Amino acid sequence: MAGDWLNPYYPQVASFVFINVILGVSIYITLATGQLSLGNAGFMSIGAYTSAVLTTRYGIPMPAGIAMGAILAAAAGVVIGIPSLRLTGVYLAIATLGFGEVIRVLFVNWESLTGGAVGIAAIPQMGRALLARLRESGFEPGTVGLRDNQFIALTVFFVLLVLAALTILFFARLSGSRVGRAYSAIRMDEKAAEAAGIDTTYYKVLAFTQGAFLSGFAGALFAHTTSYISPADFTYHRAVEILVFAVFGGSEHLFGPVFGALFLTVMPEALRVISNYRYILYGILLVAMMVYRPQGVVDRALVERLSCARKTRGEAA
Amino acid sequence: MTLLELAGVTMEFGGLTALSDVSFPVVPGDVLGLIGPNGAGKTTLFNVVTALFPPTAGEIRFAGKSIRGLKTHEIAERGIARTFQNIRLFPLMTVAENVTVGRHVKSGAGVARSVLRTKGQREEEARLLARTNELLALVGLKGANDAVAGSLPYGHQRRAEIARALASDPKLLLLDEPVAGMNENETDEIRRLIDTVRGLGITVILIEHDMSLVMKVCNRLVVLSFGRKIAEGTPEEIQNDPAVVEAYLGREEDDGFA
Repeated sequence: MAGDWLNPYYPQVASFVFINVILGVSIYITLATGQLSLGNAGFMSIGAYTSAVLTTRYGIPMPAGIAMGAILAAAAGVVIGIPSLRLTGVYLAIATLGFGEVIRVLFVNWESLTGGAVGIAAIPQMGRALLARLRESGFEPGTVGLRDNQFIALTVFFVLLVLAALTILFFARLSGSRVGRAYSAIRMDEKAAEAAGIDTTYYKVLAFTQGAFLSGFAGALFAHTTSYISPADFTYHRAVEILVFAVFGGSEHLFGPVFGALFLTVMPEALRVISNYRYILYGILLVAMMVYRPQGVVDRALVERLSCARKTRGEAA
Repeated sequence: MTLLELAGVTMEFGGLTALSDVSFPVVPGDVLGLIGPNGAGKTTLFNVVTALFPPTAGEIRFAGKSIRGLKTHEIAERGIARTFQNIRLFPLMTVAENVTVGRHVKSGAGVARSVLRTKGQREEEARLLARTNELLALVGLKGANDAVAGSLPYGHQRRAEIARALASDPKLLLLDEPVAGMNENETDEIRRLIDTVRGLGITVILIEHDMSLVMKVCNRLVVLSFGRKIAEGTPEEIQNDPAVVEAYLGREEDDGFA
């Protein structure tokens, strides 16, 4: 059969890279206002469960389910974000971490809706759903030389690639705007930002909500990529994993967590042999980063240098 | 007509009274010097006016309206801008970004317009850049747009902070020790800058320990000591006021070692 060149495993790994990239952006955007949130795994689970329940039980179309998941996570973000305004630094981290656990325990115990610890299976998978649609209009993957599972994996890959790219574009544009400047002003000196006329309350809640929205969005995409979710997918480990994208990649620039998500998702897969030691490696990496490069791999200076290099190359050409 | 009116402003931190029943008017066009020994409550007064601390008692009116109970950013919107004693620029931003942030209240792009890069948003950004360049030229930092604020020399940071404050087109500018730690030349440049600012029709309140600067640029002075207003008047009147001399130098009779 044609198409043996493509092991569907690779686009699958890449799909998780893109979901993690969106999660990386989600933590970046709350960090951009100086708020350290560990609740992203909780928001992610809200998005995942909302979309999973809506699509499996109520037959809601998948795009609508995903949108509802993200919106509900954002609503939870507002509810958590407003009282959390009084908290900063590690206290905010603890409160949001607690929130994530509460949500997880809620999903474990609300068995009638969530299936409890067993989770929800047979969630419509976006690649399969798309293939079914295409089949109706007479398309067969075989005609382009692909097997079904290859076609499905590739579809998911491209859908998530586009969504991750759009997310990055959205927040890259936001960062370079009046709103983004307000975010970084708040992060660097909240009092001075307030004195410069920035409504810090509004922007902090806005950033927190955007982060929750993105986490929920990523969660919903996750549900429709794996087609199976359980509370175990959204534990404390997930919260820390998301945080590590920002700590390792750097949180001064949008590309930091994006790089962190890319690198830290691909690395354990590339080094399959040590995959079991992934969290040990995380720990070692983090300690090393704290010592040698506390701002993360990507900082403002690096982005500056890279964009300068590109500019000079462009001029030389 | 007064621009800023303080009436019976009192600020207590627990048992400590930082400001006690302070009242004075600021008239448009004033460069009002706020002087007094260390710990007199001068910076606290700025913090109360800009609502970083809500006053315990008293009334503050700006341009005819009470500003008590407003939030700091709302006061900035009304037209009061300030600098800080220990410079508080946004250190990792460029100088131009700092100044542009200062114009937050005079610009309006929200999330949707920023992300869609609408025509209006792009025009606003162009106007912001033009205004930033004007202000940087005004404070003598022309061409420093892309320098990282935190790595600027001290004197330049002071001026960048003034440019950021001016960016909101304030009616009233509060300067907290703008020449602290500066040499004579730098002090002179700031003095000229304050004159320029006044020429733009902006009223200034200046906290400063450098008396020669205060005497040169201020048309009126208010003297605080231990949270109380002890004198108010022209520089000449203040220089000869016995209460002021006492607050700064102590009373002769009190000096038991004499």
